[in-house]
Amino acid sequence: MVPANIQTFSLLSSGLSFGAAQERTTPFDDIENVVALYQPRVFRFLLAQLRDRDAAETLTQETFLRAWSSRDSFREDCSVPTWLIRIALNLARDHTRTGRFRFWKHASANAVDVAEVAASVPSREGSAESQLIAQQQVAHIMETVAELSERQRTIFLLRFLDEMEIPEIAAATELPLGTVKSHLYRALHVIRTRHSNFTTESAPKEAR
Amino acid sequence: MTPIPASLSSPHLTEEQFGDLLTQSVAPAAQTPASAQAHLLDCEQCAAELATMRQSLSLFRDANAAYADTLLRSMRPIKLPTRRHFALQPAYWATAAAALFLAAILPMQMLHRHSALPERPVTATIAAAVPDSPVESDEALLEDVNREISASVPTPMQALADPTATSTTTSSSQTSTQRKD
Repeated sequence: MVPANIQTFSLLSSGLSFGAAQERTTPFDDIENVVALYQPRVFRFLLAQLRDRDAAETLTQETFLRAWSSRDSFREDCSVPTWLIRIALNLARDHTRTGRFRFWKHASANAVDVAEVAASVPSREGSAESQLIAQQQVAHIMETVAELSERQRTIFLLRFLDEMEIPEIAAATELPLGTVKSHLYRALHVIRTRHSNFTTESAPKEAR
Repeated sequence: MTPIPASLSSPHLTEEQFGDLLTQSVAPAAQTPASAQAHLLDCEQCAAELATMRQSLSLFRDANAAYADTLLRSMRPIKLPTRRHFALQPAYWATAAAALFLAAILPMQMLHRHSALPERPVTATIAAAVPDSPVESDEALLEDVNREISASVPTPMQALADPTATSTTTSSSQTSTQRKD
């Protein structure tokens, strides 16, 4: 039988360890810093994923608030940006599943205009004509990406917009590595096929 | 899942090889499979297609990033909570509960202590303090004033009226003590 004083000690020490767990610090305690570092990245991803300015802004804010409120569940098994992208993905998924989103998707005044994005292509050294071709290429890829399945689009954007590595994408999407690769290759196959058709069509125009 | 179709023509890169080359665009060239690298050196078509795709994907990323950065500048700042939210801290809850407990207990304790004290004869004190009638109290007061005025030495000066009185008394008492001895 365990003596009473030892029982009391173990109870006290378990209480102390519970208190220590409560006081565990996470990178999200300094939320201002986390926002300053990762807000552009999260917003960029959500904007490309949802193609709605208001929704992207609202969900970016919600992502950081969720990250802060559930910071105790951050076990550091993945990086801070991966965890943020996971939250953003879940929020975006919930958002797109509502009927309201589907209705407003086509009618919203805040919908991202493909031409506007394509016009944001940084002007590199080259003629006005090559700049125009670059804009057309961007617009074409954007249109193709919009037609991908939700999962393919997500994985494609995480790889080619956010420049995440495949294991990071697997951690953010909570999908097996093989599944991520499979979706990525499918997305690339669609984009490549359309892209080659586009370049073949536009080549004679350029020659003229 | 249906398998990914092979490349358009078999002598060229397969979809998987092409995908690998595209996804490894950021990684060093050493990670590219040797067979694919060798094919790229020989096949101008695949090399050109890969280069165009890489360029388009790079433009896609840059355009989206530039557009998002433009919007970010006009975006309202994120409303952040305070560093340690008061309501979420168990220590604050415990302190608040203790304060409430004390606030409830202390007044009750004080009340209990007051009720435990012996009862004073309130009526008697009041009766002693308050004279029978206002006329009698006024007369008594006037008499006191008259006595003060008519006195040869005022009350505050009485101690100085006969400075030798005390010493005389003391010396006489001493003398009487000596006589007894």
